[in-house]
Amino acid sequence: MGGFLASRFMSDVFNGVANGIIFSLIALSLVVVWQSTNVLNFAQGAMATFATYIGMTQVEHGINIWLCMVISVVVGFIFGGLTERVLIRPLYGKPDINPIVVMVGFLGFLQFLAAAIWGNIPRILPSPFSQVFYTSKGHTIFLSPFVVFQILTAVTVMMIVALVFRFTTLGLKLRAAALAPEVARLLGVRVDRLLTFGWMISSAVGSFTAILVAMQNGSALSPSVMGSVFIFGFIAAAVGGLDSPIGAVVGGLLIGLVEQFTLDYWQANMAPVMALVVLIVVLMIRPRGLFTKNTQRRV
Amino acid sequence: MLRPNFHRLPTTSRWIVILGVTATALGFTFTFNAGLNAQIASGAAISIVVLGLTWLTGWSGQISLGNSGFMACGGYFVGVWANHHAATPLVISLLFATAAGALGGLILAVPATRLRGPYLAGATLAFATVTSSLVYVFGNWTGGPTSQLFLNSLTTPSWFARMFSGIQASLNSSAQYGADLAICVAAIAFLFMSNLFHSRLGRAMTLVRDNDVSAELMGINLRRTRTIAFVIAAALGGLGGGLQTLLNGSVTPGSFPLTISITLLTLMVLGGIGTLTGAVLGGLIFAVSSNVINWLCSTAGISSTSNLGTNMQGIVFSVLLMTTMLIAPQGISGNIVRGYRHLMQRFTSKIDNSPA
Repeated sequence: MGGFLASRFMSDVFNGVANGIIFSLIALSLVVVWQSTNVLNFAQGAMATFATYIGMTQVEHGINIWLCMVISVVVGFIFGGLTERVLIRPLYGKPDINPIVVMVGFLGFLQFLAAAIWGNIPRILPSPFSQVFYTSKGHTIFLSPFVVFQILTAVTVMMIVALVFRFTTLGLKLRAAALAPEVARLLGVRVDRLLTFGWMISSAVGSFTAILVAMQNGSALSPSVMGSVFIFGFIAAAVGGLDSPIGAVVGGLLIGLVEQFTLDYWQANMAPVMALVVLIVVLMIRPRGLFTKNTQRRV
Repeated sequence: MLRPNFHRLPTTSRWIVILGVTATALGFTFTFNAGLNAQIASGAAISIVVLGLTWLTGWSGQISLGNSGFMACGGYFVGVWANHHAATPLVISLLFATAAGALGGLILAVPATRLRGPYLAGATLAFATVTSSLVYVFGNWTGGPTSQLFLNSLTTPSWFARMFSGIQASLNSSAQYGADLAICVAAIAFLFMSNLFHSRLGRAMTLVRDNDVSAELMGINLRRTRTIAFVIAAALGGLGGGLQTLLNGSVTPGSFPLTISITLLTLMVLGGIGTLTGAVLGGLIFAVSSNVINWLCSTAGISSTSNLGTNMQGIVFSVLLMTTMLIAPQGISGNIVRGYRHLMQRFTSKIDNSPA
């Protein structure tokens, strides 16, 4: 058993799932925003990085690492709301291109501003759990306490988001506001507040993800740390369908596994290429992703 | 009545205006110093790429964040080719760059023309990432991550070189010559595109953008039209990237970073989406931007080597991009047109109100 768990195949599976769950989280945060406001948040990665910088640089001032993580997530929560109010609200009802351009501009702004404030030199974050791999009867299993923590917390966050959306009044209102804003407004739902709230949740999930990414073994906090993660996360969301939270999770795991197996059996630089190939193939077959119901085109 | 919308002018007037602007720009390069001429040259190269983007976004309604990828296609093709065939005429090299960009665009167009809005933007962004990792994958040809590719001197038509610099100059030795060359290449691209805006294809494109259903009913093949739009934009991207590589004399994976896509968007939006004038203005803004940023930094007392100083250009461009899109989405040229119309309206209505 130890031999099997330590095999090359299983180590790829572990790594793929560990990375994939990160992509799932990013994809999920993109889907939450897309569902409610029909905006694809290109600045998601940069917003998360910025919030993480604000929180995690407090470690250097001797503040407990768990408290810093809470600060980052809270900053991300507030940040998401502010972004929606200031940048996104004026753009509702405008052509598709306007929010895309504004969010790309915001992405650039945050990334350059982070580099201007904290510099381009990566900062290695302390990890709350050991990064050393488990061993079983002399075989190395490619799971460390940190990876287990990463997977478990990611699943917990996903469960919380799912439970809130599925089983609470707030979640019902959120879904109603996304599905039929006019009707929801007539029935007394404060739609505009809920849209802001959707952005806040998404941004908080994003900053939590950025912390995990920056803490990973061999990774560090830098202004562009989320750059490629965001692209993989977007591919995951598009593969699963931007309307589907389940699709986001499945898409993330799929892209994570594809990336890891390409990296191990071919070469690291082919990983983004293969992810793009997966995206293209899926979108050629189902232009709105795997998990969305096909909607009829306007005639 | 004089119409301020440049692309609505009759063909002859358009050609006269473009050639006039080109001649003026060429005249100025004789008075500029080498540093300014180098900036003018890169501005002209960038304006070609902006032209492609503005055509794609403004006229066919598709958005692309992958233009740095098209530039890399053209740039690397020119670089690799020049290293193996030293004495290639410059015109041939640039045509190759255009073709390489167009090929990249054709590959991306297969999925991209099926996608709309944010799906398209994300897919093109992923394409840009992929081109930069392909540079590493084909490291044997491209020189891989660190090694720069220094180009051998490329031959230009001798009459052209004589016209601008007396002796047989090379691109690397004379900044003015580089600027003149870039301006001429840009002028050809602008002439070509100003005709295309007017053509059957250009009209079909705007209809596809505004109402794809009625376009389809009129017998326009949607996918074919969108693909052609994509390929033309990519070809211009390849041409701009190839020209920039020739001017720099080297190409590295860092030559075409993703941030270029943000810069291109900023230039397009600032100038005015969908207008030739906007693309020219974008190139001009790019050419003078580093001077203006340096001046801003020195006025504000920010060291140009500090973290803030090195990122100032990116911050300013991103802020300009956001605010323009939020406050005046028509950009400089669009607002000039609007102001002009407003003025004319007031003027004519005054005449109308006056007793006859």
